[in-house]
Amino acid sequence: MTSTLETKIAERVSRIEATPAIPAVFLPLLEMLNAPPDQVKLDKVVQLVSYDNTIAAQCLRVASSPLFGMTKSPESIKGAVISLGLRRVETILLTCCLSQAFPARNWIIDPAVFWRHSLGCAMVCRKFAEKLKGADGDEAYMAGLLHDIGFLVNCLSFPEEFSKAMELAHQSGIPFDEAEREAMGFTHEDTGAALARQWNLGGRLVDVIAHHHAPERSKSAPPLVALVHLCDLLCRARGLGYGYYENRRVDLANNPAWEILLQEHRELEGVDLVRFTFELDEAVGEIGELVATIFGASAAAKA
Amino acid sequence: MTTASQSAVAPAKAEATRATIDPIFRQIRDLVYKTSGIYQQEEKLYLLVDSSGRRIKKLSLRSTREYWELLSAQGTREHEMRQLLNEVTIGETCLFRSLPQLDALRKVILPEIVQEKTKQITKQLRIWSAGCSTGEESYTLAMNMMEESERLLKGWTIEVLATDLNDRSVETAKAGIYGDYALRYTTDYYKAKYFTSLDEKKMQVRPEVKNLITFSRLNLQEDSKMLFMKGMDLIFCCNVLIYFDAPSKSRVINHFFSNLNFGGYFFLGTSESLIKLNDKFHLVHFPGAIGYWKLSLKSGKL
Repeated sequence: MTSTLETKIAERVSRIEATPAIPAVFLPLLEMLNAPPDQVKLDKVVQLVSYDNTIAAQCLRVASSPLFGMTKSPESIKGAVISLGLRRVETILLTCCLSQAFPARNWIIDPAVFWRHSLGCAMVCRKFAEKLKGADGDEAYMAGLLHDIGFLVNCLSFPEEFSKAMELAHQSGIPFDEAEREAMGFTHEDTGAALARQWNLGGRLVDVIAHHHAPERSKSAPPLVALVHLCDLLCRARGLGYGYYENRRVDLANNPAWEILLQEHRELEGVDLVRFTFELDEAVGEIGELVATIFGASAAAKA
Repeated sequence: MTTASQSAVAPAKAEATRATIDPIFRQIRDLVYKTSGIYQQEEKLYLLVDSSGRRIKKLSLRSTREYWELLSAQGTREHEMRQLLNEVTIGETCLFRSLPQLDALRKVILPEIVQEKTKQITKQLRIWSAGCSTGEESYTLAMNMMEESERLLKGWTIEVLATDLNDRSVETAKAGIYGDYALRYTTDYYKAKYFTSLDEKKMQVRPEVKNLITFSRLNLQEDSKMLFMKGMDLIFCCNVLIYFDAPSKSRVINHFFSNLNFGGYFFLGTSESLIKLNDKFHLVHFPGAIGYWKLSLKSGKL
């Protein structure tokens, strides 16, 4: 990317900050997410969740979804936070906040499609991380949830160019980042990374957002970026994609990302990819429901 | 043609079953997967409950626990697993069973094969439906290829080989007569173009479709016969290998691998897995479909 292009993106992204839609909880939450887990206080999280009625209600609903491993609905916010654990609540909170930060107005991509992909990828990243020794499932969840944040930047800051990319992708069935590169000259990785830096997200998350289509470029978190790359491909192959047919064959085990992840996690060799795919399919229905829970019935209807 | 998103399941049913299903059925599910490669998804677990229920009733057992013991005890497990698999896969055969597989075939694989064979003088496509049962899959493939013969496959010779162990199945397949249930996913477009109505309930495949297919009896475990099935571009083998033990399965798959052309593909049933029985094939994903790829010579590495 040229430096003038980089400046243009940064300039447009800086205007996003002025968007009033970002809930008051969002930025403190992001700050908290960057802090080491042992420094995060229970009361502070409960306070953040309770701050906004809508978010609190959403959190309770999401917390009772089977995808988060709860068998019965928590009755109070504190109860939810205690039984789910702090990191888990942070991820739920982040999910709810994101939906408010980017309300579905003037979207070029169908919001239901986008959220199904992002949430689906978050879930799949966590499930995959759980199969790997020492991988942080909650970090993987956040990485999956945020990896395509540049889509939202594109909708807000580059609507015309982004529409063209969307049209090209739908018509030709090529991967979305290729369509963006062809139609816009840059991708959601570039714009997402600009926003992530502005939000002061941690270096590992910035790397995921900036390089999830080319994990070999990652400097600070190659295994995490590789994990997101593979889960992203898998989601797109199993009905959690961008809402169009991608005309291609995906060979996960011969993808460079697989090699990167394998270097860190030898146990990857033992993962039964077909069974993992079937298990992913099982979650597709629930992800649709979760999108409905968080983003309302209209999003669900479209999904 | 539809996209993969149609395979998404109805969430309401999943919700209802999750809480009420005896955990032992998940144990049975895992055992079925381990022995056959068939995976019963959470949303379809009730089918496994029904199948087991029919076996329990037939065997006059008192509990699911007793059934589990029968399924896992040495001496009874092989026979009972076979019976259960018969129940599980009942009604699986119909025309247009897996749309994502057909999408992958027409949108991704055919353009690739056409490209691959662009310099060959005889343009020929050979497809093998191995374990064709009563012909549903074979006719589905033939009709889809006929659709493409106006476009991608213009001027190509299309050949579908359909084999099954069972003589009676082969005879039924040759007749090509199907009722409502087998035709439940067949659109009016295909019915009008490729079928004639016999009576109110039955339709027969037209001769021009039949002409593309050679039906014959074949035992996949007969090594000498398997050696003659060379030069395939695509092999479909749906819910057949589930009945084989691991060594036989592995041998048959090796045959499939050598019978395929470079760049060719092997497909199993939609909820079926090879469970790592072969490391020569590349496991590949298409939207909504999983296939096994014999690396193309052009891709440079073998």
